[in-house]
Amino acid sequence: MLVRSRKFLIFLSGFFLLPVNAEYMGELLIEDRYFLNDAQFNQNSNHSSFTFSPEIFLNFEDKGIFHFKAKLRKDQEDKERNLIDIQELYFINLEESKEIKYGISKEFWGVTETAHRVDIINQTDSSESFDGEDKLGQPMIKLSLEKDWGLLDIYALLGFRQRTYAGKNGRLRLPLVIDTDNPKYESRAENKRTDFAIRWSHYFDNFEIALSHFSGTSREPRFIPSQKKLSGLTPYYETIDQTGLEALYLIGSLALKLEAITRSGQEDRFSALTAGFEYTQIGILDSRLDLGWLFEINHDDRIYSSPFILGTRLTFNDNFDTQLLFGVSYNDSSSEISSVIEASRRIGACCMISLESIYFGDMDEENGQLKLFEPFKEDDFFRIEFTYYLGE
Amino acid sequence: MNTLNNFFLKKPILLVLGIIGLILSGSVSANKGLEIAKLSDKNNEGFGDSASSMTMELISKKGDVVTRRLRFKRLEVPEDGDKSISVFESPRDVKGVAILSYAHKTKADDQWLYLPALKRVKRIASKNKSGPFLGSEFTFEDFSFAEVEKYDYTYVKEELIEGTEFFVIERIPLDPYSGYTKQVVWIDKENYTTHKVHHFDRKSFHLKTQTFDDYKKYLGFFWQPHKIEMKNHQNGKSSILRFEDVSFNNGLTASDFSQNSLKRSR
Repeated sequence: MLVRSRKFLIFLSGFFLLPVNAEYMGELLIEDRYFLNDAQFNQNSNHSSFTFSPEIFLNFEDKGIFHFKAKLRKDQEDKERNLIDIQELYFINLEESKEIKYGISKEFWGVTETAHRVDIINQTDSSESFDGEDKLGQPMIKLSLEKDWGLLDIYALLGFRQRTYAGKNGRLRLPLVIDTDNPKYESRAENKRTDFAIRWSHYFDNFEIALSHFSGTSREPRFIPSQKKLSGLTPYYETIDQTGLEALYLIGSLALKLEAITRSGQEDRFSALTAGFEYTQIGILDSRLDLGWLFEINHDDRIYSSPFILGTRLTFNDNFDTQLLFGVSYNDSSSEISSVIEASRRIGACCMISLESIYFGDMDEENGQLKLFEPFKEDDFFRIEFTYYLGE
Repeated sequence: MNTLNNFFLKKPILLVLGIIGLILSGSVSANKGLEIAKLSDKNNEGFGDSASSMTMELISKKGDVVTRRLRFKRLEVPEDGDKSISVFESPRDVKGVAILSYAHKTKADDQWLYLPALKRVKRIASKNKSGPFLGSEFTFEDFSFAEVEKYDYTYVKEELIEGTEFFVIERIPLDPYSGYTKQVVWIDKENYTTHKVHHFDRKSFHLKTQTFDDYKKYLGFFWQPHKIEMKNHQNGKSSILRFEDVSFNNGLTASDFSQNSLKRSR
């Protein structure tokens, strides 16, 4: 073992002798969320937070890469939203059409926009944002092969990260607080289990396809009543097998997309899919503006309903990269309708400002159907975010 | 009309000659345009690979300037279009955003966009090429390589501008998704470099003028412009692309233009 680690050190120091292209950067982000209605559980209406993300990127003459990025978040109201996370801390060894990544990283799988069914390598930082796009770093060893027959990624995922949830004082939470201090696992190894994943992707002209399989601890827990805390829920992380399919087909400027999974290990096997299209009109009304359209339907065997989302994005193509996005989600069986508006714009060379507003509506309050957004019905909010970029 | 008919009927041999003459005169100018385009394109052959850093100045009507920086790598693919990666370096919010492009001679190009914040590679529709590139007066189409097979050519004339002789040819994009209906191209008679392009929009309006300056010769034959300017006559804005650190024969291979290399190309 000693010999091995010494070999590894020599191997590493070899890289540090190479000419290196280094970048040191960072982001400071200030966020304020203002909730329009009084909370259901006595939380405050104004929540602000501060996030700092330092980053180092070293490129050893295209023979290796070192990347470090951390995320430090402090929330004024909800201590469950405080975060110290290493998003990236990895080294990549590059060879012709092969690379091996060692360390903590984020990996994205998928093609659709409104839900990410297939994406499973990283845990979701769900306290950060409502859309579930923020992730936590995952320790891994990844082998990636790029051949004529496509791209093959094989992962050993070392250990497990728990999902974050809004705490007692946070908004956008369930009526029962999730007891993240006492999670339960199906595996005896608990959060030390080594999980495995594999993904093959390829393209044929206008057709892109990926097949993947994951075997390990579910990133998505189920909840059981807490033994320790009254009116609490304990997250229960089971061991699952999930097979995923991603497909995308381009017809002119229309993109047809599909993501589907089948998962076993959480009671009965179930399937879920997201499918839809994306289309962009370039230069509407003889202007510089582009108008993008998005339509996706989401089906999940577990919820007996298939909400769809219609989105539109206006890109101004100006010096400030001004963008405006509007989306509406409609769930036919529960008559729920919710909408989101997002706008963003660059300020100078250093900064970015973005606004977001989410509204949870209900067309038919007493139709007896399960309401997905019932817990959030008083949590309509308006959010402003200001980002300052450090480094050149 | 009648006299003309009579004339040809009486002399069928003249009719045949007349038709041949018409065909030849048409095809001569068409072929000459194509020949010039082919010779100009030949200039861009045999370079292997290239890498460069660029700055792009976006100049408003009032003269305010904002600057963008990007890096560009290109690999020559004989018998097909070239492979390239463009990486944005500034402004900071788009740093690391990169575009991988596989150009093709006849079918649509394959393009992927990398978004570093999401660590996501997204296939994009190369048909959406008539939109502005990074908010500039250049469109994505202006950045793709003008493969000869993608246009119909007509020879227009020769022109002498400030002591330099140019061929003037007209080309019509064959792709219905092109943002242009016509381009008039000035090509230097001596070394077949492109000097100027007039771009006509879908309403056949002379929308933009593109000029190529500061040509330098690399590898003994490859002419590379170091300044490309695009002036928009409709909104009064212009964009200037300046090339710095241009290098050839960097030993790049296909694996430097793969999806994995796109992800680490910052």
